[in-house]
Amino acid sequence: MDNFRTKQPPVKPVSAITGVPVENRVLKNGISLFMIDAGSEDVARIEFVFKAGMARETIPLLAGTTNMMLAEGTLNYTAEELNSTLDFYGIFQNLSADRDSASLNMLFLNRHIEKAMELAGEILFRPVFPEKELSLMMKKRLAGYRISREKVQNIASDSFFESVFGSNHPYGRPVKEKDFEAITPALVRDFHSEYYTPRNMAAIISGKIHEDTPHLFEKHFGSFSDSKLPAGNSLNIINVSDAGKIHIEKPEAVQTAIRIGSATINKRHPDYPGLKILNTILGGYFGSRLMKNIREDKGYTYGIHSSVTSLDQSGYKVISTETGKQYCTSAINEIYREISILQKEPVKNDELEVVRNYMSGEMVRMFDGPFAIADSFKAVWEFGLDFSYFNRMMETVKTIGPEEIMRLANLYYNIDDLHEITAG
Amino acid sequence: MIEFRKFILNNGLRVIVHEDRSTPLVAMNILYDAGSKDEDPDLTGLAHLLEHLMYGGSANIPEYDTPLQLAGGDNNAFTNNDITNYYLTIPSENIETAFWLESDRMLDPDFTQKKTEIQKNVVIEEFRQRYLNQPYGDVMLILRSLAYTIHPYRWPTIGMDISHIEKITNENVRQFFNRNYAPQKAILSITGNIDAAWAFNLADKWFGSIPGRHVNARILPREPEQEKPREITVRRNVPSDALYKAWHIGPRTADDFYTLDLLTDLLAGGESGRLYNRLVRNLNLFSEINAYITSDFDPGLAVISGKIMKGVDIETAENELIKVVDELKDGAVSDTEMEKVRNRYETSTVLSNTNILHKAMNLCIYELLGNADMINTDVARYRKVTKQMVSESAIRYFRPANCSTLYYLSDKPAE
Repeated sequence: MDNFRTKQPPVKPVSAITGVPVENRVLKNGISLFMIDAGSEDVARIEFVFKAGMARETIPLLAGTTNMMLAEGTLNYTAEELNSTLDFYGIFQNLSADRDSASLNMLFLNRHIEKAMELAGEILFRPVFPEKELSLMMKKRLAGYRISREKVQNIASDSFFESVFGSNHPYGRPVKEKDFEAITPALVRDFHSEYYTPRNMAAIISGKIHEDTPHLFEKHFGSFSDSKLPAGNSLNIINVSDAGKIHIEKPEAVQTAIRIGSATINKRHPDYPGLKILNTILGGYFGSRLMKNIREDKGYTYGIHSSVTSLDQSGYKVISTETGKQYCTSAINEIYREISILQKEPVKNDELEVVRNYMSGEMVRMFDGPFAIADSFKAVWEFGLDFSYFNRMMETVKTIGPEEIMRLANLYYNIDDLHEITAG
Repeated sequence: MIEFRKFILNNGLRVIVHEDRSTPLVAMNILYDAGSKDEDPDLTGLAHLLEHLMYGGSANIPEYDTPLQLAGGDNNAFTNNDITNYYLTIPSENIETAFWLESDRMLDPDFTQKKTEIQKNVVIEEFRQRYLNQPYGDVMLILRSLAYTIHPYRWPTIGMDISHIEKITNENVRQFFNRNYAPQKAILSITGNIDAAWAFNLADKWFGSIPGRHVNARILPREPEQEKPREITVRRNVPSDALYKAWHIGPRTADDFYTLDLLTDLLAGGESGRLYNRLVRNLNLFSEINAYITSDFDPGLAVISGKIMKGVDIETAENELIKVVDELKDGAVSDTEMEKVRNRYETSTVLSNTNILHKAMNLCIYELLGNADMINTDVARYRKVTKQMVSESAIRYFRPANCSTLYYLSDKPAE
């Protein structure tokens, strides 16, 4: 019975539609505006992006604190008023700062777009950084920091970045408890006036775009001016340290966190799409070799992943997992074994076919809906690239061969160059 | 307004289809009316372990993930106290692979001793990673067993203890599947870029021939009303003291569910919640504070939790917290605040509707609760909540005798 069940229904090749139009305008004061009109509901999201990430900071925590303090009081609103007004209009606001950029995200129903813009203007260009709020913010962040330092994942990750990028560069510099006392309103104010400027900013709006949207941007943001000259390049320099093994002992932990990886190329390099595919095969999806071997065959871990990340001044690849302490050595040996197999044996066609199709499906998801498209746009725009990056990626996914994958594995996964961190 | 069509197959499987042509993808969601509340108290964690084992292949398919990835699909699943839910998205041209995979594992999954042993290991590592090796990771294990005395909500989905997972056998897994994974206990939804008639044809072809299985009616012990305050104090190697308070409330389908959802949003929704403004921003007693309801199908909990600022006495913090809650009983809420929480709810509903996977999940959950059309009518029920209803609910539920309190204290030596 049920004969039709024995064979998989025919699978068709899929391709992502990457030719989505992104309309670009420049406001009078130099703000770049990008508009992505898509989606069925009358909602929109604006992401305001500044090159104001950790890479610009002179002392630890400065970029993140400046970003989080933006909504803690402005010229016309106290922190409490600002937050209740945002909540009253059902505007979801999110501030974040990463290694290279810092941003404000706002999600709202389109009928509140003017209110969202007015409040965004306050948050981005009129913050007052009150001392009382800053001191509370630092107390809260310190409490959060202490909790995060109890987690072996964070201990291992922090040590990994320090090992890879060196303790002098913001990409690798570790945060210490005393750093929470060093942040003052004056430092935050200076960082803000240097990096949160119209010329250092882009606004990406996605969702249902109405005809008057560009006009509204000009109305609400067009009159802000740069208070200082555009920010120059930071003087921070990466000192890549030698690969090595570091273990951080945490006696009461019941698991060990493992991080293995190194600095690598970023999106601007022609090998990058191929490296992404290699990474997927190794540990980038549920059917990856590391998952199949270390979770599904051996049961050493709940999950194991490898990733490749682009940074403005560098990039890195890392394999991460948490395993029971008794499995740690075996898991590490299996990780190196899987890397060396990729260096020596060509990937078989069946497996490559699965990876090609899985990654094609992922690319469809990256262009599904206005917010996903906006995220994909930001991910290339930050590197001075455009959607043709995704066309190159799609092309590489469809055409890359086993020999090229082996070449990349040998070039980028030299085992002697990898940093190996364990915490637990 | 989300338009959908519903159809019941001969074996009792309910199928719901919603077309959304703005996406190249289709989402498929299968909800099984089986969760950790259906477990034997001596063998907790079984429902969740079974979820893991559903990926190990079925009668005609050696393994679940590879064919899905070959078709460009992506999937995951979760188990909670009430349900087990499997979901995926896939480019629409390859949707039939999803029907093939999901129907085969509803028909006859292939449980073997070897796979069970490996997944037990994986789940034990998950237990360690998420509950034992995290600061405050064991809170819900403690709080549930304090708040519930006999109802199965007293244990968490991961299981009461690692020893329970260790002793589960392949036979236990098979039995749990047979009792709980029948077509008439499942709801299938398909949303996105697909023609409804075509979706029903495919559902009938792939799921229609799965025989209905006999299932026993669920009989769960009713949690008796709590009559006096309960509390427990634990000391752990964590950086700061934390406070957890849980009050019993009604089931998900109770009329006052909506009131309580808005009530906890008044307390801790967004950055402008009453608890945050008073206890974090103004009094600096807590470094973070949160309030929520558990949304359990059977009578659930309203929970307030917070991390105490260093140097602050936990009793002082608790007293001030109770004051904020008591003010709700006195009708302190303004019209503007009520409008605020309703508006926040509206934005999140509209946002949720931009996503085919959210729509697929919500359709299934609402159907299980009684009617998939609640996806459209819930907004109006939130709109109807008044200030008076908020204070009545606060008086009714937020009583000391109805409350379980966990004092989670730091015994970390000062550095």
